[in-house]
Amino acid sequence: MIRLDTPDPFGIYSNPVGHWFVVVIAMLLLAFVLITATAYVVFFERIALGWMQRRPGPNRVGPGGFLQLAADGVKGLFKEGFAPVGVDRVLFVVAPGIAVASVLLGWAVIPVGIWGSITYWISDLNIGILLVLAVSSMNVYAIMLGGWASNNKYSLLGGMRAAAQLISYEMAMGLSLVPVFLIVGSLRLQDIVGFTVHWGPYSGPIPLLLLAPVSFLIYLVAAVAETNRAPFDLPEAEQELIGGFLTEYSGFRFFMFYLAEYLGVLTQSTLIALLFFGGWYLPLIPGAIALFIKVVLLVFIFIWLRGTLPRLRYDMLMRLGWKALLPLGIANVLVTSILVVLLS
Amino acid sequence: MGPATIVFWLASAVALAGGLGVVLFKEPIRNVLSLVLVMLSLAVLFLLLSAQFVFAVQVIVYAGAVMVLFLFVITLLGPVREQGTVRLPWQIFISAVVIAAFAGFLVAMLRGVSYRTPDAADPIFGSVQSIGVGLFTDYLFPFELTSILLLVAAVGC
Repeated sequence: MIRLDTPDPFGIYSNPVGHWFVVVIAMLLLAFVLITATAYVVFFERIALGWMQRRPGPNRVGPGGFLQLAADGVKGLFKEGFAPVGVDRVLFVVAPGIAVASVLLGWAVIPVGIWGSITYWISDLNIGILLVLAVSSMNVYAIMLGGWASNNKYSLLGGMRAAAQLISYEMAMGLSLVPVFLIVGSLRLQDIVGFTVHWGPYSGPIPLLLLAPVSFLIYLVAAVAETNRAPFDLPEAEQELIGGFLTEYSGFRFFMFYLAEYLGVLTQSTLIALLFFGGWYLPLIPGAIALFIKVVLLVFIFIWLRGTLPRLRYDMLMRLGWKALLPLGIANVLVTSILVVLLS
Repeated sequence: MGPATIVFWLASAVALAGGLGVVLFKEPIRNVLSLVLVMLSLAVLFLLLSAQFVFAVQVIVYAGAVMVLFLFVITLLGPVREQGTVRLPWQIFISAVVIAAFAGFLVAMLRGVSYRTPDAADPIFGSVQSIGVGLFTDYLFPFELTSILLLVAAVGC
């Protein structure tokens, strides 16, 4: 399960109770780090959007506004969780929980390099990234059920849009990863990060971005669509649907959806860093810091897209998914397969 | 009783409860969600059989795509309860006969079965690599036939 690549001095992993103890501690630690990091993704977004729109952004709570998110979190926790008349009580409460769980569960197989050869992961599965795709596909239930249970036509429309959008872009996302699997020959994220080439004098790790650039582009677009972020935020679409599936949510339940969205941004940024940018490999820089730099830059791309592009219209969204990304993904798989066979 | 046994009983119980929910709930949306529960607990059972890839495919395809299409249609119906229909007078009798016959089949099938602990699986059993090799060597012909079938369905002549 969790294993640091170091000797086991106290025999703790061979002892079943000690093993479970370590796993539970590791999971709690991971959850804590992720939720804190998510709060700072939100802070980073508000500051960065402020720069882009030539305004200061949050700067009142704490030094440089650094504690703004802590204040917002406490406020959200103590606000009344209001549920309007006519909602489906059970599903209305369950939906935000599904949203958070579907994003957090993916971290079971995401490895994080700390220092040198020391890596941190919860579970080492042969199917690797397929597990991330599987649990994140459960996210559509959260949005659809939230939209349906709210008993509000705008919420329902938001939920329907989300379902159609997520299904369309999941196909492109899965297809865009196939060339990566073909090149590396494994679905485990550890193998993908540790992929090395031996080209003449150079022998060492290489970012897969150089070998599969089209995959990276398709994956990036699909990842933005999967996290329901602008320019693909049609399920929320404030101007036409009020708040889409979020319209009737308030207080802590709203915060859980909010947490799930930004946790999704963090998860997808980490995945892109691991898949296409060589994960925690950067010359001369320790693993954790290298991964941190890459993830921050990728999160910035998500924010940058939101600050730059206007929202797509619904038919444009579907056309992009089915008529551009999907054929491009299939062609990408074909070309990469031919090249892999010819060059090996 | 090892952890695997506990997980097996839990997943089976959830699968059966989900199956009952599909039949017994009155609201269509609850029926669909119960079916999702059945799919997910079946995925857990696949995982117990060391079939990791089948687990992932079960979750992605059945729970993540097929059931979403069901839900898509059901949500358009709105929060309505199914109306009670008129029961046929001999319905209870017929269903009792069908249930008895089906239970008889099950008992007859299970009588000769001897229970033993399953053999330890090959470490590569159920891995993506072994399934890939299987699909493109031993099972190439059925695999290609299925692909053509799916292609025809997707193009929609």
